[in-house]
Amino acid sequence: MIALGRGLLLALLLLAGPCRALAASELPRLVTMDWTVAETLLALGVVPQGVGEVAGYRAWVGTPAMPDGVQDIGLRAQPNLELLVEMAPDRILVTRMFRSLDPILSRIAPTSFIDNQAGETAWEAMVAQTRDIGRLVARDRAAADLIRATEGRVADLRAQIAYAGQPLLVVQFMDAVHVRVFGADSLYGSVLERLDLPNAWRRPTNSWGFSLVGLQELVRIDARLVVVEPLPVGIDLPDNGLWLALPSVRRGDVLRLPPAWSFGALPSARRFADLLAAAL
Amino acid sequence: MIAVSPPAWASLALGLALLLLIGTSGPFAAPDPTLLYHGWWPRLVMSLLAGGGLALAGAVMQQTLRNPLATPTTLGVISGAQFSLLLATVSFPGILSVGREWVALAGAAMAMGLVLLLAWRRSLAPVLVVLAGLVVNLYLGSLSIVMLLLHHETLNGILIWGAGSLAQSGWGGVDFLWPRLLVAVPLALLLTRPLDILSLGDAQARSLGLSLPQIRLSALAVALFIAACVTSVVGVVGFVGLAAPAAVRLLGARGFAAVAGWSLVLGALLLAAIDLLLQSLSGSFPLIVPTGAMTATLSGPLLLWLLFRVKLAGRPPLPGGAHLPPTHRAAPRWTSILAALAIAVLLALMTGQTLEGWRWLDLDQAEILFEWRLPRVMAAGGAGAILALAGVILQRLTRNPMASPELLGVSGGAALGLIGALFLLPGATAPSLAAAGVLGALAGIATVILLTRRSGFAPERVLLTGVAVTAITSGIQSILLAGGDPRGQQAIAWMSGSTYFVDMAVAAAMAAIAVLCLLVVPLFSRWLDLLPLGPATAAALGLGVGRSRLVLLLMVAVLTAGAMLIVGPLSFVGLLAPHMARLAGFASARAHLLGAASLGALLMIAADWMGRQILYPQEIPAGLVASLLGGAYFLIRMRRL
Repeated sequence: MIALGRGLLLALLLLAGPCRALAASELPRLVTMDWTVAETLLALGVVPQGVGEVAGYRAWVGTPAMPDGVQDIGLRAQPNLELLVEMAPDRILVTRMFRSLDPILSRIAPTSFIDNQAGETAWEAMVAQTRDIGRLVARDRAAADLIRATEGRVADLRAQIAYAGQPLLVVQFMDAVHVRVFGADSLYGSVLERLDLPNAWRRPTNSWGFSLVGLQELVRIDARLVVVEPLPVGIDLPDNGLWLALPSVRRGDVLRLPPAWSFGALPSARRFADLLAAAL
Repeated sequence: MIAVSPPAWASLALGLALLLLIGTSGPFAAPDPTLLYHGWWPRLVMSLLAGGGLALAGAVMQQTLRNPLATPTTLGVISGAQFSLLLATVSFPGILSVGREWVALAGAAMAMGLVLLLAWRRSLAPVLVVLAGLVVNLYLGSLSIVMLLLHHETLNGILIWGAGSLAQSGWGGVDFLWPRLLVAVPLALLLTRPLDILSLGDAQARSLGLSLPQIRLSALAVALFIAACVTSVVGVVGFVGLAAPAAVRLLGARGFAAVAGWSLVLGALLLAAIDLLLQSLSGSFPLIVPTGAMTATLSGPLLLWLLFRVKLAGRPPLPGGAHLPPTHRAAPRWTSILAALAIAVLLALMTGQTLEGWRWLDLDQAEILFEWRLPRVMAAGGAGAILALAGVILQRLTRNPMASPELLGVSGGAALGLIGALFLLPGATAPSLAAAGVLGALAGIATVILLTRRSGFAPERVLLTGVAVTAITSGIQSILLAGGDPRGQQAIAWMSGSTYFVDMAVAAAMAAIAVLCLLVVPLFSRWLDLLPLGPATAAALGLGVGRSRLVLLLMVAVLTAGAMLIVGPLSFVGLLAPHMARLAGFASARAHLLGAASLGALLMIAADWMGRQILYPQEIPAGLVASLLGGAYFLIRMRRL
């Protein structure tokens, strides 16, 4: 039975041989450990050969969906080297965050550096990154289309939304007491800016555009809360004294949005814009 | 007239500082009633409760275990709590709905039960309790780091807990904590008298009709209960339990009742003052600075200052019998150790998983063998041997079973250097990260050596200084990790001891250094045989104690820094391998060194290989797997002691 199966498989492979060769010459086998790059690749219609922590991508980034055939190459910080040798990718895409891996990965396959933190604003960085990746995989047109479609969509949403309420405060819960608040230089913040929505968070943020603060820091800011899911495991929106004292909670106008990857690229930004516009 | 003791003066000074801080913040600075009622006051009360509780628990444990380094952390309470939280979050989220405190408390209780069970057979002899705690701690700690690596995004919130944030958003936490402390603290204070008698020595305590196991069990149980309750609510605020009692002792408190009482007071004031100070500063940072981590960073210098200023007058309780009791074994089994080493090397070189499952390496796959496997085996083995040598030297030098290269400030310094490079130099490559690590390591050991020079490198001073330096650095680490920066996973992977970045040139250098060390270090066997006998005996036998200590310390520093270049600062081989060698029957210094080195190499090679296979394609850093393997061996052997 097994022998028969093998024979069949071999025949199929022989038949598929020429096609495979053609496909391979057209589409290089790409590997990346960075979810942001993976997200952009998928949005451009390019399925990578391998991505770091595929299960994590499905849980945290979600869309665009990662097809089943994509190989998990291990931890993003330390992808499995012997596995990469075996997969023999044509190119490995490395971002600034994982640049310390470059010397070792370039012994396996040529690497390309994607600078996903360049640009004056978070939005410009996302656009530039999309363009770079498009050029790298010879999908310049698709990249330009993705940029145009996303910017067009956001412009449409801006025209639809007529918001005159309190400025918004986009937060993600870390535990019952601590939240990340997203400033102008984050993905969420840049979407707010593009949608012409006021961001209430003016305090300094880290290099990823957010501040980690206790709930008490929000009490004196008169803003409408936008809580981006997922909430930490085992925690629902808190019912403690400080939370109930927040202006937005007292008014009962807290917005709760389904997940959108906060360190993502244009697809995540578009998703966040859609979710926010639908909720407002 | 009543003579006011130095601890009283210190408490008074701290109390005044606290009042000053209260006066310039909170109710008088921000008259917002909701903020005050739901945030500020509960936080102040919480910091007083937590600080006092942890300091008292630490004092009781140091007295019971006769070890100035014992803290609630030592006995696995905190790692037990953390592990249960991580496990629940990843695998059994439903449980968390009953409340995080209960999950943490259950984990702490289980870790504590395991420690007491392991040490029970020998009536909770201090050295055994400490060792059991150490192993359980390493074991659970390593499992926790594995989970953090694999589920970094999900567990970000636990990292905040792990850095000990006192931020409150209501009275829930205080309501949980105060009734428990109300029961446990008086119990602990009641136990101070019998514990005082205990310090006279086992024989005398027995002749006064005290039951040693009973007193030890009740003292440890009460102390651990307090620590577990506090930890479950506010997270890891470890250092108060070490710093407050140490400060009280250094200030000259006489008798354990005084030490315990003043620790309670000083600990509460210390934590509250630090927390208020932090709150007044925190507005200017984009990340919260969790108090637990900051306490460590601030208490470190305090302890250093005290060490520097004050003579060790009220000597801290010395480790009673630093070494494991001799095992009744015949000659150690060299053949079986070497055979195991050979098998481990063969497996690591020739087998492994591929996309098609398990494969024995084909002869034509020389590239895989020489390019990717051999360097890792060589580096792992070399680093394991070197760290084990460093561990043996240190444990014999300090006569403390808890001494490991980490406690000398070497690893802490290295970790800080690494993290600094990772966060401050965007796009730093592996060599520059390694260089930063070595610079940090040298800075760490230089601090310890400079600060202990005047005392002739007295072991307890060296260890306490090392602990203080390590606390400073680990505090800064936790702050950075709790900030939720996506680079945290990289930092964790780097720090947990991995051969990932090794190439052939580095591996060859590492192996050469290891061989050199194996030839050179045994030349110092006589020193290492004499020093454990105590400074007086060693000097009487013709040893220059101060000079030999300095030479050995420098040797440890160089060895550790070299190994760390490769496997990162957090590999516990240096702690475990020396103990494993003793358990295997290696007694004289020379045999101990060689035995530990072979076991260290074996442990690291096996760990490196298994780490790459267990969760393929995810790679678990060798340092973590080594602690799991060494810990398992230890737990099995300990039951037969």
